[in-house]
Amino acid sequence: MRITGLILILLLGGLLIYGALDFPIWGDPQSPASNHLSPYYIEHTMTDTSVPNVVTSVLADYRGYDTMFETVVIFTAGIVSFFLLRIFKKAVPESRLYRHIPTGVTLRIEKGGKVPDESNHFERIDSVWIPYDLVIRTTCRMIIPFIQIFALYVIAHGHHSPGGGFQGGVIFGASVVLFAIGFNLRQAIKQLGEKFVTFMCALGVSIYAGTGIFCVLMKSKYLDYSALAALFGTDPVTARSHGILIVEIGVGIAVMAAMIMLYYNLASAGKHDEGL
Amino acid sequence: MTIIITIILLCGLVFFTGGSIGIIRFPDFYSRLHPAGKLDSAGLLFSMSAFALYTVQPFSLSALFTSVKIILIVVFVFITSPTAIHAIVDAGVRAGLKPWEKESNLK
Repeated sequence: MRITGLILILLLGGLLIYGALDFPIWGDPQSPASNHLSPYYIEHTMTDTSVPNVVTSVLADYRGYDTMFETVVIFTAGIVSFFLLRIFKKAVPESRLYRHIPTGVTLRIEKGGKVPDESNHFERIDSVWIPYDLVIRTTCRMIIPFIQIFALYVIAHGHHSPGGGFQGGVIFGASVVLFAIGFNLRQAIKQLGEKFVTFMCALGVSIYAGTGIFCVLMKSKYLDYSALAALFGTDPVTARSHGILIVEIGVGIAVMAAMIMLYYNLASAGKHDEGL
Repeated sequence: MTIIITIILLCGLVFFTGGSIGIIRFPDFYSRLHPAGKLDSAGLLFSMSAFALYTVQPFSLSALFTSVKIILIVVFVFITSPTAIHAIVDAGVRAGLKPWEKESNLK
């Protein structure tokens, strides 16, 4: 089995290198890419899409297909982490630790003992004992809203500055990961459940693909946002700018959800019980 | 004005240099974290306030907004950097790392 895998990897890697040989030399001014493709993008971005950031317009408009399948790759990564790691069998642990919050006393409850309800008085803690850390929790509570606002800003401001759906989505996902680290994994899962996150991941990809299908329904090409002009009530150029924004929001949702899925599954080794 | 900005920037650089030397020269984990925290707070405060002053020099509203954003960087680093150091020290204590002592004290 291992030898078969090795041969396969060598074969595919060799094919990849063989294919890469046909590329023009790095930075070659005579290559077709720098001959007429790049100048076209640089000169026509403003008149075609009214997006000042060339990177964004190339990413989401000129090369929309590419980005759509990149989003699908991110979605696949999240789903794969679920299929490879998730364990549903709930093994009852030898003992559980609870903290009585008003006094700070830690209770150790052996297998079969009566487990207190999680409430304002009792809090379950991970099997590796951790002290109640007010400093970290307060800082997380203060910082997380600002991180999330910044993430939305990065998504919405991708037309004018570096940023966009991928970056903003990662920042938003990081805020949830910070919550899971600062508090604990169970509380994060209570806030953003597994089903909800998976649904959001699929929803993000669907927004992207759905925008393309909507363009087809408006009797135009797939992902040709200028067809949405009638919907927005603007001229086709502004419609392309708005279409890019919709697509970026879809990418942002998908990336955020995939980040959270990866963290949940990797940090708890698929048990979703206790993690970092 | 330019002279004031240069002096503030140099102050920040002094803190950055001292902090970097401290991270290398101090004997153990905990004492190394001390200059690491100082470097973030003091060095960043001085250099960022110099940047903020430099941005508003021909005064306009958009320049003021840019400089407020720079000040915001300092505010957030002031909140997060000490917390990060606190968490790292806590992790070190919980992992059972003993603080460094002079060899004469150990005998």
